[in-house]
Amino acid sequence: MTNELMTTARAAELIGRGLPLAIAGPKCELEQLPAGAWIGGTIPYFMLPSGGVVVSTGQVFVTDLSAIGDVRVAYQPADDLAGIARHAPDNGFSFTIIPAGSTAHQRFAAEAASYEGAFLKPTVGWIAGVHLADLGREAALVYDGRTRTAHADGAVVAYVALPADKAASVEIVNLFEADGTDVLTFDDTTFSVRRCRVNGEPVDFADYVRRRGLEHGRLPLVGDFAGARINVSLQAVGEDGNVALYAPVFPGVNYQFARPVSDYAAAFRAQLAHVDPQGVVMGCNCVLNFLYGELEGKVVGGIAGPVTFGEIAYQLLNQTLVMVRIV
Amino acid sequence: MSLPALQNPVWHRLAGGALPRMRTQNLGVQLMTKRLERSADSTAAKAAEIHAFFAKWERVLQSEIQQLATL
Repeated sequence: MTNELMTTARAAELIGRGLPLAIAGPKCELEQLPAGAWIGGTIPYFMLPSGGVVVSTGQVFVTDLSAIGDVRVAYQPADDLAGIARHAPDNGFSFTIIPAGSTAHQRFAAEAASYEGAFLKPTVGWIAGVHLADLGREAALVYDGRTRTAHADGAVVAYVALPADKAASVEIVNLFEADGTDVLTFDDTTFSVRRCRVNGEPVDFADYVRRRGLEHGRLPLVGDFAGARINVSLQAVGEDGNVALYAPVFPGVNYQFARPVSDYAAAFRAQLAHVDPQGVVMGCNCVLNFLYGELEGKVVGGIAGPVTFGEIAYQLLNQTLVMVRIV
Repeated sequence: MSLPALQNPVWHRLAGGALPRMRTQNLGVQLMTKRLERSADSTAAKAAEIHAFFAKWERVLQSEIQQLATL
Protein backbone atom coordinates (compact mmCIF):
# COMPACT_ATOMS: atom_id res chain seq x y z
CA MET A 1 0.00 0.00 0.00
CA THR A 2 1.08 3.59 -0.53
CA ASN A 3 2.78 5.14 2.49
CA GLU A 4 5.45 7.34 0.99
CA LEU A 5 6.76 10.74 -0.01
CA MET A 6 5.57 11.75 -3.46
CA THR A 7 5.13 14.81 -5.64
CA THR A 8 2.21 17.05 -4.80
CA ALA A 9 0.92 16.49 -8.33
CA ARG A 10 0.84 12.73 -7.75
CA ALA A 11 -1.01 13.23 -4.46
CA ALA A 12 -3.56 15.42 -6.26
CA GLU A 13 -4.03 12.65 -8.80
CA LEU A 14 -4.73 10.11 -6.04
CA ILE A 15 -7.25 12.48 -4.46
CA GLY A 16 -8.87 12.88 -7.88
CA ARG A 17 -9.28 9.12 -8.07
CA GLY A 18 -11.35 9.28 -4.89
CA LEU A 19 -8.83 7.54 -2.65
CA PRO A 20 -9.04 8.31 1.09
CA LEU A 21 -5.66 9.69 2.14
CA ALA A 22 -3.76 11.08 5.12
CA ILE A 23 -1.32 13.71 3.89
CA ALA A 24 1.55 15.47 5.63
CA GLY A 25 3.59 18.28 4.18
CA PRO A 26 4.47 21.94 4.11
CA LYS A 27 1.55 24.39 4.08
CA CYS A 28 2.40 25.61 0.58
CA GLU A 29 1.94 22.08 -0.76
CA LEU A 30 -1.20 21.15 1.19
CA GLU A 31 -2.84 24.37 -0.02
CA GLN A 32 -2.49 23.15 -3.62
CA LEU A 33 -4.39 19.91 -3.15
CA PRO A 34 -7.93 19.53 -4.54
CA ALA A 35 -10.98 18.70 -2.47
CA GLY A 36 -11.48 15.06 -1.66
CA ALA A 37 -11.51 12.37 0.99
CA TRP A 38 -8.34 13.39 2.73
CA ILE A 39 -7.05 14.77 5.99
CA GLY A 40 -3.77 16.61 6.31
CA GLY A 41 -1.42 18.41 8.60
CA THR A 42 1.54 20.73 8.23
CA ILE A 43 4.97 19.27 8.86
CA PRO A 44 8.15 19.34 6.74
CA TYR A 45 10.06 16.49 8.45
CA PHE A 46 9.88 12.84 7.45
CA MET A 47 11.48 9.49 8.15
CA LEU A 48 11.89 7.34 5.09
CA PRO A 49 13.48 3.93 4.59
CA SER A 50 16.30 5.85 2.87
CA GLY A 51 16.78 8.26 5.80
CA GLY A 52 15.35 11.37 7.42
CA VAL A 53 14.46 14.28 5.12
CA VAL A 54 13.22 17.87 5.33
CA VAL A 55 10.86 18.91 2.53
CA SER A 56 10.45 22.52 1.46
CA THR A 57 8.46 22.34 -1.77
CA GLY A 58 7.05 19.96 -4.31
CA GLN A 59 6.40 16.94 -2.11
CA VAL A 60 4.00 15.58 0.47
CA PHE A 61 3.84 12.34 2.43
CA VAL A 62 0.78 10.26 1.57
CA THR A 63 -0.78 7.31 3.37
CA ASP A 64 -3.44 5.64 1.24
CA LEU A 65 -6.03 4.31 3.67
CA SER A 66 -8.20 2.64 1.01
CA ALA A 67 -6.33 -0.65 1.23
CA ILE A 68 -6.87 -0.87 4.99
CA GLY A 69 -10.62 -0.48 5.33
CA ASP A 70 -13.61 1.76 4.80
CA VAL A 71 -12.75 5.38 5.51
CA ARG A 72 -14.82 8.36 6.62
CA VAL A 73 -13.34 11.83 7.08
CA ALA A 74 -14.46 14.18 9.87
CA TYR A 75 -13.54 17.31 11.75
CA GLN A 76 -13.88 17.33 15.53
CA PRO A 77 -13.85 20.71 17.33
CA ALA A 78 -11.63 21.30 20.35
CA ASP A 79 -14.61 21.34 22.71
CA ASP A 80 -15.71 17.84 21.71
CA LEU A 81 -12.58 15.76 21.29
CA ALA A 82 -14.34 12.94 23.14
CA GLY A 83 -16.35 12.70 19.92
CA ILE A 84 -13.33 11.19 18.17
CA ALA A 85 -13.84 7.90 20.02
CA ARG A 86 -17.61 8.34 20.20
CA HIS A 87 -17.94 8.48 16.41
CA ALA A 88 -15.28 5.85 15.72
CA PRO A 89 -16.18 2.55 14.08
CA ASP A 90 -16.60 -0.42 16.41
CA ASN A 91 -13.64 -2.15 14.78
CA GLY A 92 -10.91 0.08 13.43
CA PHE A 93 -8.98 3.15 14.41
CA SER A 94 -9.23 6.91 14.24
CA PHE A 95 -6.31 8.43 12.33
CA THR A 96 -6.16 11.87 13.94
CA ILE A 97 -4.12 15.03 13.31
CA ILE A 98 -4.18 17.98 15.74
CA PRO A 99 -2.32 21.29 15.32
CA ALA A 100 0.50 22.03 17.77
CA GLY A 101 -0.11 24.82 20.24
CA SER A 102 -3.88 24.68 19.85
CA THR A 103 -6.53 24.28 22.51
CA ALA A 104 -7.24 20.84 21.03
CA HIS A 105 -3.59 19.89 21.56
CA GLN A 106 -3.74 20.91 25.21
CA ARG A 107 -7.08 19.29 25.88
CA PHE A 108 -6.35 16.04 24.08
CA ALA A 109 -3.05 15.72 25.94
CA ALA A 110 -4.73 16.09 29.31
CA GLU A 111 -7.97 14.22 28.68
CA ALA A 112 -7.54 11.55 26.00
CA ALA A 113 -7.20 8.52 28.25
CA SER A 114 -10.46 9.43 30.01
CA TYR A 115 -12.63 9.65 26.89
CA GLU A 116 -15.31 6.96 26.82
CA GLY A 117 -14.18 4.14 24.57
CA ALA A 118 -10.61 5.45 24.36
CA PHE A 119 -9.16 1.96 24.69
CA LEU A 120 -11.85 0.16 22.72
CA LYS A 121 -11.56 2.41 19.68
CA PRO A 122 -7.92 3.49 19.41
CA THR A 123 -7.00 6.99 18.37
CA VAL A 124 -3.63 7.22 16.63
CA GLY A 125 -1.89 9.95 14.68
CA TRP A 126 0.20 12.98 15.26
CA ILE A 127 0.52 16.65 16.09
CA ALA A 128 1.03 18.98 13.13
CA GLY A 129 3.87 21.49 13.34
CA VAL A 130 6.04 23.84 11.35
CA HIS A 131 9.65 24.08 10.28
CA LEU A 132 11.63 24.75 13.44
CA ALA A 133 13.00 27.92 11.84
CA ASP A 134 9.41 29.20 11.64
CA LEU A 135 8.49 28.56 15.28
CA GLY A 136 6.56 31.51 16.62
CA ARG A 137 5.95 32.94 13.13
CA GLU A 138 3.91 30.23 11.40
CA ALA A 139 0.97 28.34 12.85
CA ALA A 140 0.55 24.61 12.57
CA LEU A 141 -2.54 23.70 10.55
CA VAL A 142 -4.68 20.67 9.91
CA TYR A 143 -6.82 20.19 6.81
CA ASP A 144 -10.26 18.79 6.19
CA GLY A 145 -9.82 17.78 2.57
CA ARG A 146 -13.54 17.51 1.88
CA THR A 147 -13.76 21.28 1.76
CA ARG A 148 -10.02 22.13 1.62
CA THR A 149 -10.49 23.90 4.95
CA ALA A 150 -7.46 24.66 7.09
CA HIS A 151 -7.99 24.63 10.86
CA ALA A 152 -5.65 26.04 13.48
CA ASP A 153 -7.60 24.20 16.17
CA GLY A 154 -9.62 21.02 16.54
CA ALA A 155 -8.82 17.64 15.06
CA VAL A 156 -9.18 16.16 11.61
CA VAL A 157 -9.97 12.47 11.67
CA ALA A 158 -9.97 9.66 9.16
CA TYR A 159 -12.09 6.91 10.67
CA VAL A 160 -10.85 3.59 9.33
CA ALA A 161 -13.30 0.70 9.72
CA LEU A 162 -11.66 -2.71 9.46
CA PRO A 163 -13.10 -6.02 8.33
CA ALA A 164 -14.36 -8.19 11.20
CA ASP A 165 -11.38 -10.53 11.00
CA LYS A 166 -8.84 -7.70 11.38
CA ALA A 167 -7.78 -5.53 14.31
CA ALA A 168 -5.62 -2.43 14.73
CA SER A 169 -2.65 -2.94 17.02
CA VAL A 170 -1.04 0.27 18.28
CA GLU A 171 2.66 -0.08 19.04
CA ILE A 172 5.46 2.23 20.12
CA VAL A 173 9.24 2.30 20.01
CA ASN A 174 10.75 4.39 22.79
CA LEU A 175 14.52 4.82 22.93
CA PHE A 176 14.41 6.18 26.42
CA GLU A 177 14.62 4.29 29.68
CA ALA A 178 14.39 5.62 33.22
CA ASP A 179 17.80 6.44 34.67
CA GLY A 180 17.10 4.54 37.87
CA THR A 181 17.78 7.47 40.18
CA ASP A 182 15.22 9.87 41.67
CA VAL A 183 11.48 9.20 41.38
CA LEU A 184 9.48 12.33 40.58
CA THR A 185 5.76 12.76 41.16
CA PHE A 186 3.43 15.65 40.40
CA ASP A 187 0.30 16.82 42.19
CA ASP A 188 -1.50 18.22 39.14
CA THR A 189 -2.09 17.45 35.48
CA THR A 190 -0.13 20.27 33.91
CA PHE A 191 2.09 21.39 31.04
CA SER A 192 3.81 23.93 33.28
CA VAL A 193 5.40 22.73 36.47
CA ARG A 194 6.47 24.84 39.44
CA ARG A 195 6.90 22.21 42.09
CA CYS A 196 7.13 18.45 42.24
CA ARG A 197 8.11 15.75 44.69
CA VAL A 198 11.47 14.05 44.41
CA ASN A 199 11.47 10.73 46.27
CA GLY A 200 8.48 12.13 48.16
CA GLU A 201 10.07 15.43 49.17
CA PRO A 202 8.58 18.66 47.75
CA VAL A 203 11.08 20.60 45.65
CA ASP A 204 11.22 23.44 43.13
CA PHE A 205 11.24 21.60 39.81
CA ALA A 206 13.23 24.20 37.87
CA ASP A 207 15.92 24.22 40.57
CA TYR A 208 16.02 20.44 40.48
CA VAL A 209 16.36 20.35 36.69
CA ARG A 210 19.18 22.92 36.78
CA ARG A 211 20.94 21.17 39.66
CA ARG A 212 21.05 18.01 37.58
CA GLY A 213 22.23 19.90 34.50
CA LEU A 214 19.18 18.84 32.48
CA GLU A 215 17.90 22.27 31.41
CA HIS A 216 19.05 21.53 27.83
CA GLY A 217 15.84 19.49 27.53
CA ARG A 218 17.33 16.64 25.56
CA LEU A 219 16.29 14.02 28.08
CA PRO A 220 12.58 13.52 28.71
CA LEU A 221 10.85 12.45 31.85
CA VAL A 222 9.87 8.80 31.52
CA GLY A 223 6.55 7.93 33.15
CA ASP A 224 5.81 4.40 34.30
CA PHE A 225 2.35 3.57 32.94
CA ALA A 226 1.97 0.00 34.18
CA GLY A 227 5.22 -0.92 32.48
CA ALA A 228 4.80 1.26 29.38
CA ARG A 229 7.44 3.98 29.20
CA ILE A 230 5.64 7.23 28.35
CA ASN A 231 7.82 10.28 27.79
CA VAL A 232 7.21 13.91 28.65
CA SER A 233 9.71 16.22 26.97
CA LEU A 234 11.00 19.47 28.44
CA GLN A 235 10.33 22.58 26.38
CA ALA A 236 12.01 25.24 28.50
CA VAL A 237 13.18 25.97 32.00
CA GLY A 238 11.87 29.48 32.42
CA GLU A 239 13.32 32.37 34.33
CA ASP A 240 9.88 32.66 35.95
CA GLY A 241 10.54 29.40 37.79
CA ASN A 242 8.20 27.27 35.71
CA VAL A 243 9.28 24.32 33.60
CA ALA A 244 7.29 24.12 30.35
CA LEU A 245 6.57 20.66 29.00
CA TYR A 246 5.50 19.33 25.58
CA ALA A 247 2.93 17.02 27.22
CA PRO A 248 1.36 17.08 30.65
CA VAL A 249 2.55 15.18 33.67
CA PHE A 250 -0.12 13.33 35.62
CA PRO A 251 -0.66 12.74 39.33
CA GLY A 252 -0.38 9.10 40.33
CA VAL A 253 2.42 8.36 37.88
CA ASN A 254 6.05 7.82 38.84
CA TYR A 255 8.50 9.63 36.57
CA GLN A 256 12.26 9.52 36.25
CA PHE A 257 14.55 11.38 33.92
CA ALA A 258 15.78 9.34 30.98
CA ARG A 259 19.19 7.81 30.64
CA PRO A 260 21.13 9.49 27.80
CA VAL A 261 21.05 7.93 24.33
CA SER A 262 24.38 8.35 22.56
CA ASP A 263 23.39 7.39 19.01
CA TYR A 264 19.68 7.76 18.23
CA ALA A 265 19.89 6.29 14.71
CA ALA A 266 21.73 3.20 15.91
CA ALA A 267 19.34 2.83 18.85
CA PHE A 268 16.31 3.03 16.54
CA ARG A 269 17.88 0.55 14.13
CA ALA A 270 18.56 -1.84 17.00
CA GLN A 271 15.00 -1.64 18.31
CA LEU A 272 13.36 -1.73 14.88
CA ALA A 273 15.41 -4.81 14.00
CA HIS A 274 13.12 -6.65 16.41
CA VAL A 275 9.94 -5.15 14.93
CA ASP A 276 8.14 -7.26 12.35
CA PRO A 277 7.20 -4.87 9.49
CA GLN A 278 4.36 -7.17 8.42
CA GLY A 279 1.05 -5.33 8.61
CA VAL A 280 2.44 -1.93 9.63
CA VAL A 281 0.33 0.65 7.79
CA MET A 282 1.47 3.95 9.28
CA GLY A 283 4.15 5.40 11.49
CA CYS A 284 5.35 8.69 12.89
CA ASN A 285 8.28 9.84 14.96
CA CYS A 286 9.10 12.90 17.03
CA VAL A 287 10.83 16.02 15.78
CA LEU A 288 12.88 16.11 19.00
CA ASN A 289 14.33 12.71 18.13
CA PHE A 290 14.99 14.05 14.61
CA LEU A 291 16.66 17.17 16.04
CA TYR A 292 18.64 15.78 18.98
CA GLY A 293 19.45 12.55 17.16
CA GLU A 294 20.48 14.47 14.03
CA LEU A 295 18.43 12.01 11.98
CA GLU A 296 18.41 13.98 8.71
CA GLY A 297 19.96 11.67 6.15
CA LYS A 298 20.22 8.81 8.61
CA VAL A 299 18.49 5.46 8.16
CA VAL A 300 16.62 4.31 11.26
CA GLY A 301 14.69 1.34 9.86
CA GLY A 302 11.88 0.52 7.49
CA ILE A 303 9.10 2.55 9.14
CA ALA A 304 8.07 5.59 7.07
CA GLY A 305 6.03 8.60 8.10
CA PRO A 306 6.01 12.19 9.27
CA VAL A 307 8.29 13.45 12.04
CA THR A 308 5.98 15.46 14.23
CA PHE A 309 5.35 17.77 17.17
CA GLY A 310 3.79 14.95 19.19
CA GLU A 311 2.63 11.44 18.57
CA ILE A 312 -0.75 9.94 19.36
CA ALA A 313 -1.16 6.37 20.54
CA TYR A 314 -4.39 6.40 22.57
CA GLN A 315 -2.97 9.55 24.23
CA LEU A 316 -0.33 12.16 23.48
CA LEU A 317 3.27 10.93 23.53
CA ASN A 318 6.61 12.69 23.18
CA GLN A 319 9.89 11.53 21.64
CA THR A 320 8.35 8.21 20.61
CA LEU A 321 7.91 6.32 17.35
CA VAL A 322 4.31 5.19 16.89
CA MET A 323 3.08 2.47 14.53
CA VAL A 324 -0.27 0.97 13.62
CA ARG A 325 -0.24 -2.65 12.61
CA ILE A 326 -3.22 -4.45 11.14
CA VAL A 327 -3.40 -7.97 12.54
CA MET B 1 -8.86 -20.08 26.49
CA SER B 2 -12.25 -18.43 26.36
CA LEU B 3 -13.02 -15.16 28.08
CA PRO B 4 -14.83 -15.38 31.47
CA ALA B 5 -18.25 -13.74 31.59
CA LEU B 6 -18.67 -10.30 33.16
CA GLN B 7 -20.18 -11.93 36.27
CA ASN B 8 -16.96 -13.88 36.89
CA PRO B 9 -15.18 -12.55 40.02
CA VAL B 10 -11.91 -12.25 38.13
CA TRP B 11 -13.01 -8.90 36.68
CA HIS B 12 -13.67 -7.48 40.14
CA ARG B 13 -10.29 -8.75 41.31
CA LEU B 14 -8.61 -7.02 38.40
CA ALA B 15 -10.59 -3.84 39.00
CA GLY B 16 -9.81 -3.99 42.71
CA GLY B 17 -6.06 -3.83 42.17
CA ALA B 18 -4.86 -7.02 40.51
CA LEU B 19 -4.61 -5.66 36.98
CA PRO B 20 -1.12 -4.07 37.41
CA ARG B 21 0.22 -7.54 38.22
CA MET B 22 -0.57 -8.74 34.71
CA ARG B 23 2.52 -9.33 32.59
CA THR B 24 1.93 -7.59 29.26
CA GLN B 25 3.61 -5.64 26.53
CA ASN B 26 0.28 -4.53 25.06
CA LEU B 27 0.21 -0.73 25.09
CA GLY B 28 -3.57 -0.55 25.39
CA VAL B 29 -3.59 -2.79 28.46
CA GLN B 30 -0.79 -0.78 30.05
CA LEU B 31 -2.35 2.64 29.47
CA MET B 32 -5.81 1.46 30.52
CA THR B 33 -4.33 -0.06 33.67
CA LYS B 34 -2.78 3.26 34.66
CA ARG B 35 -5.96 5.15 33.80
CA LEU B 36 -8.05 2.85 36.00
CA GLU B 37 -5.49 3.06 38.79
CA ARG B 38 -5.86 6.85 38.76
CA SER B 39 -9.64 6.78 38.37
CA ALA B 40 -12.26 7.31 41.06
CA ASP B 41 -14.77 5.12 39.19
CA SER B 42 -16.50 2.38 41.16
CA THR B 43 -15.00 -1.09 41.14
CA ALA B 44 -18.05 -2.31 39.24
CA ALA B 45 -17.55 0.31 36.54
CA LYS B 46 -13.86 -0.53 36.29
CA ALA B 47 -14.65 -4.25 36.08
CA ALA B 48 -17.08 -3.61 33.24
CA GLU B 49 -14.51 -1.52 31.39
CA ILE B 50 -11.82 -4.18 31.77
CA HIS B 51 -14.19 -6.90 30.61
CA ALA B 52 -15.27 -4.85 27.59
CA PHE B 53 -11.63 -4.24 26.70
CA PHE B 54 -10.68 -7.90 26.88
CA ALA B 55 -13.81 -8.91 24.97
CA LYS B 56 -12.94 -6.44 22.22
CA TRP B 57 -9.28 -7.46 21.95
CA GLU B 58 -9.66 -11.14 22.86
CA ARG B 59 -7.92 -12.32 19.70
CA VAL B 60 -4.71 -10.40 20.38
CA LEU B 61 -4.65 -10.79 24.18
CA GLN B 62 -4.38 -14.55 24.50
CA SER B 63 -1.28 -14.49 26.71
CA GLU B 64 -2.95 -11.95 29.00
CA ILE B 65 -6.20 -13.94 29.10
CA GLN B 66 -4.27 -17.04 30.12
CA GLN B 67 -3.08 -15.15 33.19
CA LEU B 68 -6.58 -14.23 34.39
CA ALA B 69 -7.03 -17.24 36.64
CA THR B 70 -3.73 -16.58 38.40
CA LEU B 71 -4.28 -12.92 39.23
